[in-house]
Amino acid sequence: MASPEGQKPVLEARGLVKRFGQVLALRGVDFDLRPAEVHALCGENGAGKSTLIKTLSGIWAHGTYEGEILMGGQVQRFAAIADSERAGMSVIHQELALVPEMSVAENIFLGHEPTRFGVVDHDRMLTETDQLLSRWGIDVSASACVADLGIGQRQLVEIAKALRKDSKVLILDEPSAALTDKEVAVLLTIVKELRSRGVSSVYISHRLEEVFELSDRITVLRDGQTVITLDTKNTDRAQVIAHMVGREIDNLFPRRRSEPGQCLLSVKGLNVAERGSEKIRLHDISLELHQGEVLGIGGLMGAGRSELLMHMFGIWGDRKTGTVELEKAPLATSPAACIEQGLVLVTEDRKRFGLVLEQTVGFNLSLSAIDEFSPRGYVDRDQEVKRNAEYVNSMRIKASSQETIAGTLSGGNQQKIVLGKALMTKPKVVLLDEPTRGIDVGAKYEIYELINELTSQGVAVLLVSSELPELIGMSDRILMLADGHIGGSFTGSEITQEALLAAAMRPSSGPRPEPA
Amino acid sequence: MTTQLAKEATVSMTQDANKPKGNAPKPAKVNLRDFSMLIALVLISAVFAVMDPAFLSSRNLSQLAIELSATAVLSLGMLLIIVPGHIDLSVGSGLGLVGGLAAVLITGKGLSAPLALIVSALVSVCIYAGMGAIIVKEKIPSFIITLGGLLVFKGVHWLVINNSTIPVVTGGDQNVYSILTTYYLPPALGYVLAAVIVAALGFAAFNNVKKRKARKLEADSEGAFLSWFLSAQLLVLFVIVLNQYRGLPLSLIVLGATAFVIHVLSQHFRFGRYLYAIGGNEEAALVSGVPTDKVVVLAYAVMGVIVAVSGFLQTAFAGASTTTTGALMELDAIAACVIGGTSLKGGRGTVVGVLFGALIMCVLLNGMTLLALSPEMKFIARGVVLALAVWMDVRLSRSTARA
Repeated sequence: MASPEGQKPVLEARGLVKRFGQVLALRGVDFDLRPAEVHALCGENGAGKSTLIKTLSGIWAHGTYEGEILMGGQVQRFAAIADSERAGMSVIHQELALVPEMSVAENIFLGHEPTRFGVVDHDRMLTETDQLLSRWGIDVSASACVADLGIGQRQLVEIAKALRKDSKVLILDEPSAALTDKEVAVLLTIVKELRSRGVSSVYISHRLEEVFELSDRITVLRDGQTVITLDTKNTDRAQVIAHMVGREIDNLFPRRRSEPGQCLLSVKGLNVAERGSEKIRLHDISLELHQGEVLGIGGLMGAGRSELLMHMFGIWGDRKTGTVELEKAPLATSPAACIEQGLVLVTEDRKRFGLVLEQTVGFNLSLSAIDEFSPRGYVDRDQEVKRNAEYVNSMRIKASSQETIAGTLSGGNQQKIVLGKALMTKPKVVLLDEPTRGIDVGAKYEIYELINELTSQGVAVLLVSSELPELIGMSDRILMLADGHIGGSFTGSEITQEALLAAAMRPSSGPRPEPA
Repeated sequence: MTTQLAKEATVSMTQDANKPKGNAPKPAKVNLRDFSMLIALVLISAVFAVMDPAFLSSRNLSQLAIELSATAVLSLGMLLIIVPGHIDLSVGSGLGLVGGLAAVLITGKGLSAPLALIVSALVSVCIYAGMGAIIVKEKIPSFIITLGGLLVFKGVHWLVINNSTIPVVTGGDQNVYSILTTYYLPPALGYVLAAVIVAALGFAAFNNVKKRKARKLEADSEGAFLSWFLSAQLLVLFVIVLNQYRGLPLSLIVLGATAFVIHVLSQHFRFGRYLYAIGGNEEAALVSGVPTDKVVVLAYAVMGVIVAVSGFLQTAFAGASTTTTGALMELDAIAACVIGGTSLKGGRGTVVGVLFGALIMCVLLNGMTLLALSPEMKFIARGVVLALAVWMDVRLSRSTARA
């Protein structure tokens, strides 16, 4: 299949079929990438995007799939990822592959260290890394330790690592999921500039704004099949979403407000320092959360949103002053005791804090509420399996059984397990930290509906989100954090993107308005 | 229900093993890794049996059973420590100390044997719970704390027994301590016990399949029956052989009871869930509300009981506490766990696997002793087998992950 320009596609997949045991992950995918093109790949979680990438890049070796992979018209038989790299392909995965203890430069040159008289030439490594980073406008120091970087900066380092290899084909799997708006802008510039230099990219993202800004064509996958390939300039978001879910979603944020009841959670004058340090990171935070209410918490990356939630849950920071009360009683300071008291946290980093990936869906679902099924320590399996089955159904977790290993599920389904685990404890207050990060439109919608259901039952929700439309669409009130301070509090018609952003970027010195 | 089981049993037994069953055209899911330990065990035993037929004699197997007890009990305790991602290097010296303490309390201080055992076991629990508390509260790696324990306990042990040999009982008498490794169940009682265990295992397997079906989970009734049938046969055969010598050794029954308790604790109790959760992802476990510190301290406290039990067995086996009692047993226990498929990173490991691992280590030692190999050769061979076993496990798990 030749492109209209008469050039052979740089990368092409023909009729790819990939099985995992009985499960068909890919059931006939056709895909082609033209020279100097950005080709977006869209689809719900579990649609087969990650499997397609793994098959294209040789992680699933030739012979384990059916169909053909071609580069420049030549059939490729990659036995491992090293083969596809040699053929000029670079993949930036959702899961980052950096060594946290090493510097940025050491990571970028990992396995290709320049040497001088047989000794690693650190000076050269640092200079070349500095050049590479500044050429692409990445604001990270070459000598910084990766462990000290935020997740967004790490993602950019990962991209820089791929850029050093001068690849012809770049595959980006959810590169923007963890980035701030500023970092996303850098990323988009990089990809565009690569295109102008003749590098083709496959761009996978749940953020359709980026897809439309960046891509030349869009291929939609659903249930392991190519649904359609569209020219970006001849289509729109609604059409892409309709193809992704196979049905129309008319309202992206289906928030149904319920009448707020009595005050459940009350935070007064909280000043918190990082553990073992005197540096205050959260200044003078006060807030109230009522029954049936969604309080949104926004702010730029590093503003202290996650830290606030994690502190309330007892896993971050030393409290210097202030109180946190749940139903007029002081809130406990350990996760186990918080859960007992009726407050749960759904963390942003589900791989790190959310799941025991090597264990089953059922093991993870019931982990927090297991006390209920084991009054004297002995686990009542009948009751446990029944409750797990209820949650697998009501959360619509797509797994063949509750004994499926959690790590084999897609991101959206993993997130639903984390949520289900929290909800099984029957909480009064739920702290949600980026509950829809990196998951698809359909699953997002289900999570929004779940928030509605919770609040209609009188549960109070604290929602942290980096996506302003989501924050605005789902919150009843919004609190913006700016550099650890409350930058503003908004209700009703005060809530506009402009007002929120202005509050998020308020300078960190000077007096701050008290929240209403 | 039991009649149905019996019917199922006769049906399966009368059928030709080569013929596929009519009712279930399921493809055989034979996973080489599941059987790799059994195969290794059979191979090693076959080599010894060929080189010295006395290896399979009822006398030697009886001896092997007693030797196995102390090591296997200790390995089962080690499982509870390794699953949450910790390690305990101190147990070898620890069990020497506890066994020595009990011997001194009896022969030196004149305490009654049962009281001496209880007191030393309590001391052991306190020591190990304390070590666990230091590990979690002060966040010092368990490797370091228990390495310190290894040295300290060895010193204290030698102090307690005053660098001499303290018998577990004075004169040619008997007490609870000494009969641990000298008492044998009368043959008739041995058969009764075997029958009860076989019936209980069968009931448990049948019940499990029934319950899984009721819970609408995948249930492999054929596999469950086959493994029950196989283990029942092995068990009965073993009892017959042992009864030809003196009967079932008491120490083996101690091991059986320990294995049962550890299995139930790790698979059916909340405590076990928490151990696997901590080993699989400690941060996620904490955020999920698992009291991670308490669970680890409890695991070390259980290890204290285990150290006491295996210390009593090991000391009683030698007849006295000496400066070398328990030396290097921590390494046998860790090796047994690893051979048995326990991941040193935590989160993975089973009682059955550990029992096989311990059996392999003990068969190896017993066989080599029988062949009168030099101690040098024995050390080398055990080390090589450990490395080989782990290498094989890594290879096989890689190939199954790919398939």
